[in-house]
Amino acid sequence: MPIDLTIADAAVARAGRKPEALIPILQILQERYGYLPEEALRRVCLTTDITPAAVAGVASFYDMFRMQPTGKHVVRVCRGTACHVAGAERVEDSLRRHLQIPNGADTDRAGQYTIEPVACLGTCTLAPVVRIGESTLGYTTAEKVPELMRDFLANLATATAVKSTEDQGEHRPGVRAEIHVGLGSCCMAKGSDRLFHALRESAEAGGVNVAVKRVGCVGMCHRTPMIEITTAAGKGEFYAGLSPEHAAALVQRHFQPRGLVQQARRVWTRVLDSLLLDAPTEQRSVQHFSMSKRDPAVRAFLDKQVHIATEHFGKLDPLDLDEYLAHDGFAALARCLGTELLARPHPGPLPQERENPSSVFEQSSVGDSSCDSRTSQSRRKLSPLPGGEGQGEGEATHTSKITQSLLTSAATREAIISTIEKSGLRGRGGAGFPSGQKWRVVAQQTNDTKYVICNGDEGDPGAFMDRMILESFPFRVIEGLAIAAVAVGAREGIFYIRHEYPLAVKRVRAAIAQLEQRGWLGESLLGVGAPLAPTQGERVAKPDGGQPQSYPLKLSVFEGAGAFVCGEETALIASIEGERGMPKLRPPFPAQAGLWEQPTLINNVETLALVPWILRNGAEKFAAIGTAKSKGTKVFALAGKIRRGGLIEVPMGTTIREIVEEIGGGAAAGRRFKAVQIGGPSGGCVPARLADTPVDFESLREVGAIMGSGGLVVLDDTSCMVDIARYFLQFTQDQSCGKCTFCRIGTKRMLDILDRLCTGRATRPQLEELERLAVQVGAGSLCGLGKTAPNPVLSTLRYFRDEYEAHLAGRCPARKCTTLIKYTINGDCTGCTLCAQHCPVDAIPTTPYAQHVIDDAKCTRCDTCRLVCPHNAVEMK
Amino acid sequence: MSDSFTISIDGRPVAVQPGESVLTAARKLAIDIPTLCFLEKCGPLNTCQVCLVKLNGKLVPSCGTKVTPGMVIESETEEVHEARRTALELLFSDHVGDCLSPCHRLCPLMLNIPLMLRHLEAERWDEAIATVRQALPLAGVLGRLCHHPCEQGCRRGNWDDPAAIRDMEKFVTDQDFQKPETHLIPRKPATGKRVVIIGAGPTGLAAAYYLAREGHSVTVADRQAQAGGSLRAVGENQLPVAVLDREVALLARLGIDFKFGVELGQHVTSEGLARGFEAVLITVGELAPAEGAKLGLALAGNSIKADPNTCQTPLEKVFAAGSAVRPQKQLVKAMAEGRAAAECVHRFLGGQPARRPEKPFSSLMGRIDPGELKAFIRSTHSGGSVAPCDRCAGHTRPEAAVESSRCLHCDCRSSGNCVLQHYAQTYGANASRFRAERRPFEQQLQPGGIIFEPGKCILCGICVKLTEMAAEPLGLAFIGRGFDLKISAPFGLEVEAGLERVAAECVQHCPTGALVFAEKKLAAANGRGATSVDGNSAESGQTA
Ligand SMILES: Cc1cc2nc3c(=O)[nH]c(=O)nc-3n(C[C@H](O)[C@H](O)[C@H](O)COP(=O)(O)O)c2cc1C
Ligand code: SF4
Ligand code: SF4
Ligand code: SF4
Ligand code: SF4
Ligand code: SF4
Ligand code: FES
Ligand code: FES
Ligand code: FES
Repeated sequence: MPIDLTIADAAVARAGRKPEALIPILQILQERYGYLPEEALRRVCLTTDITPAAVAGVASFYDMFRMQPTGKHVVRVCRGTACHVAGAERVEDSLRRHLQIPNGADTDRAGQYTIEPVACLGTCTLAPVVRIGESTLGYTTAEKVPELMRDFLANLATATAVKSTEDQGEHRPGVRAEIHVGLGSCCMAKGSDRLFHALRESAEAGGVNVAVKRVGCVGMCHRTPMIEITTAAGKGEFYAGLSPEHAAALVQRHFQPRGLVQQARRVWTRVLDSLLLDAPTEQRSVQHFSMSKRDPAVRAFLDKQVHIATEHFGKLDPLDLDEYLAHDGFAALARCLGTELLARPHPGPLPQERENPSSVFEQSSVGDSSCDSRTSQSRRKLSPLPGGEGQGEGEATHTSKITQSLLTSAATREAIISTIEKSGLRGRGGAGFPSGQKWRVVAQQTNDTKYVICNGDEGDPGAFMDRMILESFPFRVIEGLAIAAVAVGAREGIFYIRHEYPLAVKRVRAAIAQLEQRGWLGESLLGVGAPLAPTQGERVAKPDGGQPQSYPLKLSVFEGAGAFVCGEETALIASIEGERGMPKLRPPFPAQAGLWEQPTLINNVETLALVPWILRNGAEKFAAIGTAKSKGTKVFALAGKIRRGGLIEVPMGTTIREIVEEIGGGAAAGRRFKAVQIGGPSGGCVPARLADTPVDFESLREVGAIMGSGGLVVLDDTSCMVDIARYFLQFTQDQSCGKCTFCRIGTKRMLDILDRLCTGRATRPQLEELERLAVQVGAGSLCGLGKTAPNPVLSTLRYFRDEYEAHLAGRCPARKCTTLIKYTINGDCTGCTLCAQHCPVDAIPTTPYAQHVIDDAKCTRCDTCRLVCPHNAVEMK
Repeated sequence: MSDSFTISIDGRPVAVQPGESVLTAARKLAIDIPTLCFLEKCGPLNTCQVCLVKLNGKLVPSCGTKVTPGMVIESETEEVHEARRTALELLFSDHVGDCLSPCHRLCPLMLNIPLMLRHLEAERWDEAIATVRQALPLAGVLGRLCHHPCEQGCRRGNWDDPAAIRDMEKFVTDQDFQKPETHLIPRKPATGKRVVIIGAGPTGLAAAYYLAREGHSVTVADRQAQAGGSLRAVGENQLPVAVLDREVALLARLGIDFKFGVELGQHVTSEGLARGFEAVLITVGELAPAEGAKLGLALAGNSIKADPNTCQTPLEKVFAAGSAVRPQKQLVKAMAEGRAAAECVHRFLGGQPARRPEKPFSSLMGRIDPGELKAFIRSTHSGGSVAPCDRCAGHTRPEAAVESSRCLHCDCRSSGNCVLQHYAQTYGANASRFRAERRPFEQQLQPGGIIFEPGKCILCGICVKLTEMAAEPLGLAFIGRGFDLKISAPFGLEVEAGLERVAAECVQHCPTGALVFAEKKLAAANGRGATSVDGNSAESGQTA
């Protein structure tokens, strides 16, 4: 079939002809053709300044680009940490078998299915996760695969396309009651989008006056879909794990439907409820999904948390700018610009009408919660910028004085930067570099052009904090980035977001578009100093005695193309410049010579999300939280072998034990908590006996882990530590850019030895070599990826050497390494033939009424037989 | 300049300009920091990481690290060296090539066999004899009597018959002796140092050969009336006396002085000799029972006691080697002992600690599979071994040329001219520290005469950068990522397509044998290229 080259031309027309347009062009081609046809690439070279060598280099670097067409359907299998420990390999094997994808290939012969491993789908609490087409499926198992695929095909046939929830940001004036539906990626993966629509329809059908509202992540990703109901009476109640079928009953339960028939029906459900109290799960009524803040599990999950980066979580519609404004949004930025914002009242249940702010989500929000001060046309109270004279709740007069003094830009910058410095804020992207210091270096550069970049590459498998923050609080991150831009003197900001996070990309783009529409981005930040669009309800108050400054800022989104190493700042810059994401030697640091050789500030999403709060509440308030050297809070993605996974924000210095046992509820019943993996591929495993280690930058480093981005994967006695080390090495090996010797070859050689260990073929000298090489790879690699790649090995060697020893002797104590275990059927077998029927590789001959026997040579250790055997007759040794 | 400042490297101050790299600064102090990916005009590429130095407790690549005032650098420390060595060893764990051919490595005297065979194939007789004489003492004798371990390891033998290496040595020497003026290996200028060797058997003669070439004045004494020792006992059909005599005469032409009828312990003593010469080497052959006691030397059993690593006896200035120390069963091994002793003596005379010659470094490709063998066979003569006729004295010239053209040239075209090999040798890298699955051997013979061997590419990026700087229409690119990273022209084309403008420059600056010109092209290209084929320096480990 000839290639339609107009697509290539259109891509060029859209993305431009300069060399840096390369990645966006390839992304368009990939999206439109499904792969990168050579003719199209040649065409691009002809019509742009892009060289063939650049195209070849870049196209082969990033995971998202394919040189071959995919099958009709793409099945993405997560290979992230949480999924790995939950048995993703078996799911992948099973999928391959079921879809008849030959070994070494990624597409079946008929061209129907392509299987694509993904580093992490960012919905780790649902591990193992598979994404087929647009739908994300959680808690998959090998034996469920045929069913999954059947359902998928059935859904295709009935063409029940999932409706978008992305244009649902409107308000219904005068509505007092709201149903909040969490619509983060995790929640959507569990069907919250369908629930959302079902609730709307039910409300509509019942004629109930209630706003069904989209909110961001509610943190309790393990209980999604999650909704919260606030009635006009201000009563808050919430539900977890509902499905769309429950929508009608829920609406009836809480809201007075019009008309007698409905009334009657409502009574009837009540009756039903009480009757069904002890019914099995499937038949449970909505009441059974209800939780309250008094629920000990909910308490435990929330009590220790402090929400700063995730302030007002589960409350805000991610894309409702007015709502953000009503919750102190952009107040900090306004102040940095020497002005104040007047927000228009937020429609919705007004807090002062509530008996008490009873939402459990609000429980531990710190800071001057806007909800209490929110009034119609209220003039926002502003505390003075620390660094000026005095702190605390400033009076209006005081404020304007301070404001006035900030009008010279140098002073403004200095005030912002010194606030950040005093707050003790350190980068949340991994290394914990003091943010104020970094800002100051950029600010001090004398170049005219400077850039600020928000690092949303989050490639750490098993971490999804940044995804959640971007999805739930896009305006907050934008505000943080804008403040940073003002502080360092940058006029252009870029959000670098990995393409595996489509929802985050979409929401940040939409948020930027809204701000642009309002005239709050571009020419003049917040429209200060520029004419206001008259249709908008808010205006910018000019404090007495000074002209507010106008500050131009242009924001854009750059989608990553799939390469973990692009989270490293020099690689990230290379990638924005249209090159292969290969890191460069630092110094020079990006703060001195970054994007296009200009001073560039790069901060992590979470770092930036903390900034507005700090400026609103003062450095001291932030510094009061946390430990001596690690201030404030840290958001963690809690996943793995744990009861309550999700997103949590805790003060620095909270111990691992508090996180795992109290917040997370500990390991599953009958299992023993063994270790936590913190910091992903750059981090390490902290054993349970060191669970009292506080999580802060220094303490974690001391025990051989690192804070990293905040992935926290809990491991139990079914997790093999050698396998974990091998898993991470496999990951870094796969993600190494290949530039420098130590990382390209060194990690491979380490992996070779770990492979031998996991298959019982390693010798003691090889184990010693592993340790020696680990140290050398760490010392000799060029960038952070290679330098930290040995950490998982070194930390498991440090704490779990006995497991390495066991593997030398050919044993896997956790029974995870498949070549070291064997499946047998014992005398309890009744000959029911179930295992034989289910074995996907026919390793068990059917012998009715007689004890079954497993053919070890055929057995692939898929575990199916053990799971299906009703008599527990299948043993794993 | 006024803004210059000093930094310290290994405790030595050096004046530098701002913007200079640590590498440049080190070079001013004549510190040889290894570099592979560094080429001035490309700027630091920072891929190879062999140029590491220590700065503030961390290892950093010196080529890309700019000097700052007050900087303190460590370069020549064991820790830094170990890191550099590891980088080299890692590169070799993923390197598909043999610097030296298997036969070359198996020859105890390290004859560069494929080089000799290339000369023969091209009928460059003078070069052939030079190559042989460079490595072998009494080459005409070895060409007849050597048990040829080289042939046992010959890769051609995995296909049909091994190359007839020993026969070719015989052919080369026979040819040479037919000329009026036989080839004489050059001698270095006289050192004025005098060495006496007692025992004119294979070990002694070999030692004399190497020591004389180093410029020392060598006297060989033997209790017999003729040189040759045990060689005199070999039958005429195996070793005609004429051949041995010619070879001994050649030694005399090198300036070696022979004294016959002199017996150690009877006419001379070790102590006495030690007073008259700067060094004494005892190579009297296997001792008859009770004979040892008469020598006046320390004994171990019935052998002379000598340190195996230095050949030194407990007596100052007195060395011993060969069967007198440890019985040698094979002629070539006995000669190799002579070579080792010569190296020990030579170093001793130069005021350095005595030490056997280092084994020349070689990357090891290991076993090759039949498919790969085919790639090697491609450009060679397809037939089996060519034997001379029964009545003939040996191969004719055309026969020798055909036989030689059966060689697979298992050595690397870049050997002796390869930066990677050079530093591997200097750093004593162990090419097989990391055992790993090897990539398949691949050789892209390009129509324009370039040969690209991806297995030897260390991904330094120099060629990629050079094509980019020259705005090559297609150019070369890094393809893929991580361990699968490779160099290629775009759109799956072979490398030559990307090298329209800067082929010669890329070949010249490729630090390994990954990019080379085929021989014919090479002859045309001037300068540096020629050595890569004739590369004598591959014999870097020899005393020569
Ligand atoms: C291999 C590698 C991957 C990284 N990935 C990320 C990432 O996904 N997100 C991030 O914010 N920082 C990441 N970093 C850290 C960044 O290089 C950089 O330090 C950070 O974005 C700075 O922001 P901060 O000071 O706010 O932490 C990564 C670093 C390395 C070496
Ligand atoms: S350490 Fe790894 S990822 Fe970093 S530059 Fe080297 S090869 Fe690339
Ligand atoms: S015998 Fe059991 S464990 Fe083995 S492949 Fe069959 S079902 Fe899986
Ligand atoms: S490229 Fe260099 S190191 Fe490699 S085989 Fe050739 S000579 Fe040896
Ligand atoms: S084929 Fe040539 S180079 Fe290779 S081992 Fe045999 S003689 Fe040596
Ligand atoms: S071919 Fe040579 S110059 Fe090019 S990257 Fe490989 S080693 Fe470097
Ligand atoms: S979604 Fe699988 S580990 Fe993150
Ligand atoms: S609860 Fe859904 S993303 Fe966290
Ligand atoms: S990194 Fe310095 S020479 Fe290669």
